Amino acid sequence: MREGARPVLGGPRGNMAAGRPSPVPPSPALPRRPHVLVPRPSRPSSRSAALRLIYTTSVVQRKNVAAAGPEKYTEAFIKKQIEEFNLGKRHLGNMMGEDPETFTQEDIDKAIAYLFPSGLFDQRARPMMKHPTEIFPEKRKIQWGEDGRPFHFLFYTGKQSYYSLMHETYGMLLNVQEYQDQMSAQDFTPEKEKKNLPGSRWLTKMELEEMLLEKLSDHDYSRFIQLLQKMVALPYGTNEEKYMQKFSKEIAAQLQKVVIDPLQYDERGVAFSTAEGRRKTARATVVVYDNGSGKITVNGVDVLHYFPVLQDREQLLFPFQFLDRLEKHDMICTVSGGGRSAQAGAIRLASAKALRSFVTEKEVEFMRQAGLLTVDPRLRERKKPGQEGARRKFTWKKR
Amino acid sequence: MYACKFYIKIPRKNKNYFITSRRLTQVRWSRYNAQYLEPEVNRELLQKSWDELSEEEKAEQELKAVRPIKAAPSNVTSSVFSDPMISKFTNMMMRDGNKVLARSLMAQTLEAIKRKQLEKYHQAPEHEKDKIECNPYVIFHEALKNCQPVIGLCSITRGGKTYQVPVPLTDNRKRFLAMKWLITECRENKHRRTLMPEKLSQELLQAFHNEGAIIKKKHVLHKMAESNRAYAHFRWW
Repeated sequence: MREGARPVLGGPRGNMAAGRPSPVPPSPALPRRPHVLVPRPSRPSSRSAALRLIYTTSVVQRKNVAAAGPEKYTEAFIKKQIEEFNLGKRHLGNMMGEDPETFTQEDIDKAIAYLFPSGLFDQRARPMMKHPTEIFPEKRKIQWGEDGRPFHFLFYTGKQSYYSLMHETYGMLLNVQEYQDQMSAQDFTPEKEKKNLPGSRWLTKMELEEMLLEKLSDHDYSRFIQLLQKMVALPYGTNEEKYMQKFSKEIAAQLQKVVIDPLQYDERGVAFSTAEGRRKTARATVVVYDNGSGKITVNGVDVLHYFPVLQDREQLLFPFQFLDRLEKHDMICTVSGGGRSAQAGAIRLASAKALRSFVTEKEVEFMRQAGLLTVDPRLRERKKPGQEGARRKFTWKKR
Repeated sequence: MYACKFYIKIPRKNKNYFITSRRLTQVRWSRYNAQYLEPEVNRELLQKSWDELSEEEKAEQELKAVRPIKAAPSNVTSSVFSDPMISKFTNMMMRDGNKVLARSLMAQTLEAIKRKQLEKYHQAPEHEKDKIECNPYVIFHEALKNCQPVIGLCSITRGGKTYQVPVPLTDNRKRFLAMKWLITECRENKHRRTLMPEKLSQELLQAFHNEGAIIKKKHVLHKMAESNRAYAHFRWW
């Protein structure tokens, strides 16, 4: 039988099954004229059905676009895109008058922003020219061979990567348990080596989805993490360290993320440090001077006049009292916006940030753990329709 | 609020989550994400050296180094004068958000207690001077402790009838009930012209000596619980 005589429903799918490179994925708007081979109704006398070539339009042979699933890109398509990208990069380099050899991605971005200026707010909607691997998300290649048989033995579960991962991990777990049994049979006591749990975290659900190229449900994800945790908890769990490292990530200590400014010196030679703070709508700027006597000036006015309430003054002194530097610094603040308590909170944050420059790293970490260096994100909750306030509902009336 | 079919409320660190048979459902949301930990304001705890800490504390310290920390609330400081129980009591006394008034009332109450105790101290003979407690904070804590009920009652409906079933109370609930009783007692059962600080100081001193209306209320509750002992098996938690 000729190859063409095989019934083929649509152009692209047939091509993909044969492994041949497909053309650029056709948009459904353009009418196609696929070749459809239909067995002609035979006359009662002839036995074999004669296959004739019949041309039809896509209106009759409409493909169910939604049921086909997400668009799949073949390897050849991606390769071609990469070649085009590299060529285009060199052309762009030439156009901009730069050396095409040393034209980096940053230069490309600047050139595109110059040539195609856009006022769109969403950065992803603006014109961009990036490497195809960044634009086309990594999709799964076709999972079945020419005969239609799937490659993986778990294909028909629907989530083959997830179940194969669970299968593998469980195999590791059983190995560890076997090893443990062997050790206990020989009367070896297991050494408790704890993995540094706070210093590392498991992959998030998004990261695991990216790794497996498959959608996961919350339940699936939590089961996988439970399995990993179970393995870590076992005495000889660290045998499979390498395997588990694939699924864990290091977390850097919080302290290292912040850059502390060095001290500045004014004309008199006194060290000072400036910082800003905010709380609700209040914004404060603070200058903390060394060799002081504990004087605080707010908006040109003494603190006792500006903050008559004791609680606010306590908040202002909180960072100094925490570091035992109550009468060693002078402070000049400017604050605007917000209410009484918000302004006090803003100045507190600003002064704590300014004091970081005067103090050792260990004390900065203490301040952070006391909650002095975090911006308070709490805001007034909006009133909802159908309710009297943010949370209070209207009085319930029986009739 | 999210609806969930059936749920078990598990009191753990993350109190805002109900665990259903399948997944976590968020009930109340906060401006901080789940990673944030509570701040520790007490300076002495922070200055402990590494070797003095126990295993759990070491693990906690390691975790704190990696996680972000929430901002300290505005009624909390590291000074010796800020007391969490007094802050809680002040907040409960507060009406319409008037924290300034509530705080001044609290300060006047403590001052009144101190004055009364000092008067007693100066009038007492030498050998009894040691027994008179003059620190108003100590008196406050002791009085509150004396007012806390040990067991409470819960209404449970079975077969149409509602029974008062004796139930153990959590620490938070005990403290709340003690403070609530104190405040309601002082608001309602006083002469029109007596001010709140005066009445409160009277009640606190009485409670410190295990006398007074609130202690009586506590004993009444205990007696009710004792008399309803037969229904204790209705409790399923």
